[in-house]
Amino acid sequence: MEFKTVWSRWEENARVTPGKDAIVHWIAGEEPFRWSFDELLKTANAFSVQLLNQGIKPNQVCAIIIRHNRFFYPLYMGIVGIGAIPAVLAYPNPRLHPDKFRDGIRGMSQRSGLDWIFTEDSLEPVLTPLLVNSTIKGMHFPLQWDLTFRDANIEKELDEIRINRLGTDPFLLQHSSGTTGLQKPVLLSNRAVLEHVDNYAQAINFSQDDKIVSWLPLYHDMGLIAAYHLPLAYGITSVQIDPFEWVLVPSLLLEAVSKEKGTVAWLPNFAYNMMADKIPDDELEGFALDSWRLVINCSEPVRHESHVRFFNKFNKFNFKQSALSACYAMAETTYAVTQTIPGSIPVELSMDRLKLAQGFVETTQDFAKARICVSSGKVIKGCRVRIVDENRKDLPAGRVGEIAISSVSMFDGYRNYPEKTSDVLQDGWYYSGDYGFVYNEEYYIIGRKKDIVIVAGNNIYPEDVEDIVSKVEGVLPGRVVAFGFDDESLGTEVLAVLAESNLETLGDKKHLKVRIQEAGLKNDIAISKIYLIPARWLIKSSAGKPSRKANKERIIQPNEFLVE
Amino acid sequence: MISDKLKSVILNELHLEGYEINDETQANQIPGWDSLNHINVILAIEKAYNVRFKRLEVLKCKNIGDLQKLCDLKTTS
Repeated sequence: MEFKTVWSRWEENARVTPGKDAIVHWIAGEEPFRWSFDELLKTANAFSVQLLNQGIKPNQVCAIIIRHNRFFYPLYMGIVGIGAIPAVLAYPNPRLHPDKFRDGIRGMSQRSGLDWIFTEDSLEPVLTPLLVNSTIKGMHFPLQWDLTFRDANIEKELDEIRINRLGTDPFLLQHSSGTTGLQKPVLLSNRAVLEHVDNYAQAINFSQDDKIVSWLPLYHDMGLIAAYHLPLAYGITSVQIDPFEWVLVPSLLLEAVSKEKGTVAWLPNFAYNMMADKIPDDELEGFALDSWRLVINCSEPVRHESHVRFFNKFNKFNFKQSALSACYAMAETTYAVTQTIPGSIPVELSMDRLKLAQGFVETTQDFAKARICVSSGKVIKGCRVRIVDENRKDLPAGRVGEIAISSVSMFDGYRNYPEKTSDVLQDGWYYSGDYGFVYNEEYYIIGRKKDIVIVAGNNIYPEDVEDIVSKVEGVLPGRVVAFGFDDESLGTEVLAVLAESNLETLGDKKHLKVRIQEAGLKNDIAISKIYLIPARWLIKSSAGKPSRKANKERIIQPNEFLVE
Repeated sequence: MISDKLKSVILNELHLEGYEINDETQANQIPGWDSLNHINVILAIEKAYNVRFKRLEVLKCKNIGDLQKLCDLKTTS
């Protein structure tokens, strides 16, 4: 059946399977709340009526900043239902300084053209200053709305909006990678999302018997598209766990999979390590994970060791090795580009590390020289992928290059950001900035063009960190380098900082380290390793700026002792 | 009131010697106590006190004072 808009597909699901669970809203230690497809749509409709009544118009961007709450889902759908554009933003972590939070929203507002903010009353004092001299027209507290409100004229207007809505009309705004101020707004149409639902569902053999279980935040494309939109449009159940609760109690995911007979989940790589290493067996007593048919590793480089740890840990709870899976995805293509074949373990290649660094794809049997590369799978329907050189010319087989993607679910460009759009989008191809190679039609992602550090699925720009640390008293301004390094035990990159300082005593240096950590904290950035180094230690690049690569290599030299 | 022992375990785990924390301090106000480190801190406390927390018990702790009460409860019961 052809659907013009995502809303019409939701209506069809509510008509065909009204009583089926659409969303199971999970709360630790309590009975979950269950939205049926029918009740969810009715409540979304009630929100739509209220939204029009409050003066919200089609195509206006509506930011939602709400914690884990069962009314989040119908509110989001209600915004879609009036032809407005929902944009889920992260609820501020208490550690984030209110000024930084406001700066981030202000930056987004300038780029995205945010029209309205829908939030909780507790954020009112923090957000009110944003209403002056910005695109934001007002703030609403929808959790307090009367959902029994009805108005015949508004309902008539609503019908007209829905009839006239087109597949090419904008559907949602998601923000691609980046620390708050640098996030890039990606606008997706109804058609892009609908195409992606069908193409990706086919790639993972979705059926009506599937059930998604997710703790992923909905401001992240993996949570929003894979774990929320995909099941909601396809007409299957998703179980939504509070990300804040999952971080504190990672076994919640396994509890939900076991109790709800979950079949599919998406996870960033660090979550495999966290669950394998940090959950004691007695916390898993009585859990059965045999229903899980796909656990899809995405949004961080896929690590062989993490899959091994995860399987070894949960095998005794009936986790099947064949459920291990991987995909390559990004907000700019709605979500997935490649996916491993369901039911078969991702292919692993033993590659010559040195040759890879030189741009050549060569396998090796010499373990000491090897880097185990895990496949992210084959290209899904509707996508095409090329491996290109620095001039965006196709590379021959057997070469490492930048990954370029063309997709039927491609974004149209970053909203109000033409200069950034023209950097990455050319003749219908999106140049991802990721490095990888293809081998037997399977794609392997091995690095990035830019120095972005991916910490537990969150992208951090070193420039932001360097700027923050440079301003800390005791650090020589501009004499800072930030970079990521692999933490094998955590299964993710962590952030390190090299900062020049003239401080000499051990006590002064200790205090400075704490001040640097605190400065990161106020910006919601965790700095794992701080190296204090004397003035003029940092190596400069030819452009005269401290070089991240050279200084990272210098600091990890085992024989050089330069920090306390 | 937060004991020297609990304070020392937390600060040692986070390499924050000399940092000031009290009953009202929340985990997310302490440098280094992030999502990746949370479980390490809890495991270090469990080891130091030779106790096992139920994860939901930890989830209900709003600040370090609550965590101290939980340690006291576990060690006296």
